[in-house]
Amino acid sequence: MYSIETRSLTKFFGNVKAVDDISFKVNDGEIFGFLGPNGAGKSTTMMILTTLLKPTSGQALISGFDVSSHAKQVRQKIGFVQQETTVDEYLTGRENLLLQARLNHIPKDLIRQRIDDVLELIELSDKQNEPVVTYSGGMRKRLDIAGGLLHRPKVLFLDEPTVGLDIQTRRKIWEYIKKIHLEFEMTIFLSTHYMEEADKLCDRIGIIDEGKIQVIDSPEKLKNAMGNEVISLEIEKDEQERLFLSKLHKIEQITKINEDQNKITIFASRGTEVIPKIFQISSELKIKINSISLTQPTLDDVFISYTGHDIKSDGVAFNRKREHAKMKRLRA
Amino acid sequence: MNLLFYDTYTIFWREIKRYKKSRSGVLIRLIQPAIWIVVIGNTFAGTQPLIESVGFDGEYIEFMAPGVIILTAIFTSIFGGVNTLWDRRYGFMNKALTSPISRSSLALGKMLAISLIAALQASLILGIALAIGVTFPNPIMIAPIMAIVILFSLGFSGISVIVAATAKSQETFWGVINFLGMPLFMLSPALFPLELLPDWLASIAKLNPVTYTVLLVREMMTGVSEGGIPALLSIGIILAFVLVMVAIASYVFTREVNKPF
Repeated sequence: MYSIETRSLTKFFGNVKAVDDISFKVNDGEIFGFLGPNGAGKSTTMMILTTLLKPTSGQALISGFDVSSHAKQVRQKIGFVQQETTVDEYLTGRENLLLQARLNHIPKDLIRQRIDDVLELIELSDKQNEPVVTYSGGMRKRLDIAGGLLHRPKVLFLDEPTVGLDIQTRRKIWEYIKKIHLEFEMTIFLSTHYMEEADKLCDRIGIIDEGKIQVIDSPEKLKNAMGNEVISLEIEKDEQERLFLSKLHKIEQITKINEDQNKITIFASRGTEVIPKIFQISSELKIKINSISLTQPTLDDVFISYTGHDIKSDGVAFNRKREHAKMKRLRA
Repeated sequence: MNLLFYDTYTIFWREIKRYKKSRSGVLIRLIQPAIWIVVIGNTFAGTQPLIESVGFDGEYIEFMAPGVIILTAIFTSIFGGVNTLWDRRYGFMNKALTSPISRSSLALGKMLAISLIAALQASLILGIALAIGVTFPNPIMIAPIMAIVILFSLGFSGISVIVAATAKSQETFWGVINFLGMPLFMLSPALFPLELLPDWLASIAKLNPVTYTVLLVREMMTGVSEGGIPALLSIGIILAFVLVMVAIASYVFTREVNKPF
């Protein structure tokens, strides 16, 4: 049995297909990441998996229980830490955890010990009796994550756990997530649009774009499949560009080429040998190269190669706005 | 069933905690009814012959004090559901909905908390009334009066929770609530005897649960019974109103909050 399993999961909002025929499996104890831009369908999928939304078609199972027909059982298995911090500002840290413990039906005689334990784990014991208003953003997030852990869920959902936090705080949260995973060995399903986060935390990553899963694999394998090196070129606009690209394709060390206006990204196995060849072709065709660089592939490159665009590209932002407007209209 | 009580208490506990932490809110909510009782109570003091005509022999302020207590209860409870919109906007609702708590406890816990808070506010107004000279022939009556106020507020918190769960925005909520609150208060004998209303208005007022609550509380405070409505009938009508509101509210609330916000 898998911790999470989806079969052709699909969700429509009116005519908008937010989740498009998604199938994947997450093993017990795995950290699985959903990587994609805003509006890709990550949150919608997560809302289906946490019983907040019903799928239009397809199936989703948590520890073997169907989220639509056995929502009650699913809710006993999961912890859900939402993107926004949801702790009550006027309550103290401890009161917030007490509320969370009661919501999750933790037996009375265990509550005190459980709260003490998680407070220590997230290093908030000394601030526990102060109202959350006095907490920093990172502390609130930690408290939120702690709340999701109290009842020792089998599957912990983290929706964009570090969005809006500064880089030091983000790193700290990553440490906590790793620590939690080590301590409780639960399955963690997280969504993120930060490459580094997916890279650092996840055993496997699913790249999701426009409601579809493009690829699922471990970060290492995804990067290795790109070839060993990435060459980024910027050229001046030219009629010969098509011909230039087709000639580049013929170089045998090159595994993949992406172009985005005048930026060309080339994935190659021995980049240092490829660069002279690129110059040779460009001088034959009299194409002017403005800049060239040679780097190791990152998840950014993986993302671009599967989706054809940058994770922060304008096209996607526009899409998100449009979808947002549509969703609003549907709900009005 | 046991779990329903436990879950309802959980939600109730959170609401009461939040209320206790907002001390400034407690005072602000007292200002309006305090103004009513001081300004209207003294301005209308000259209308004594009118209330005497319906068999009431005390000061006008003693006549209207129960009305203002009910006013406080109405507005505290009918406004009380507004935090539902925040809960949905800032994720508490989703947190609760992904936890195994029973769905109807969300509405029930909220309503119980609102009605208790409304009764607390009303008792503060009762204190103000006593301080400015309203006399209370039978102090033992304070317990049953508060019980009636809690019960009545539970019904009104139902209205609030229904509006809050169906409204998509603060603006809608406040619009609807103000549209409902004032007429329900004015079309009751809170400030003037029912007998002074034209017949058609009086018949509308007789459909209003506020009417029976005011008459009942006034009878309990002053010992004067008006309009020939027996206390038991009033209690029956209030009970029926509360039961209907609680049922509708928990149904509508549970259905609405499960929809995406």
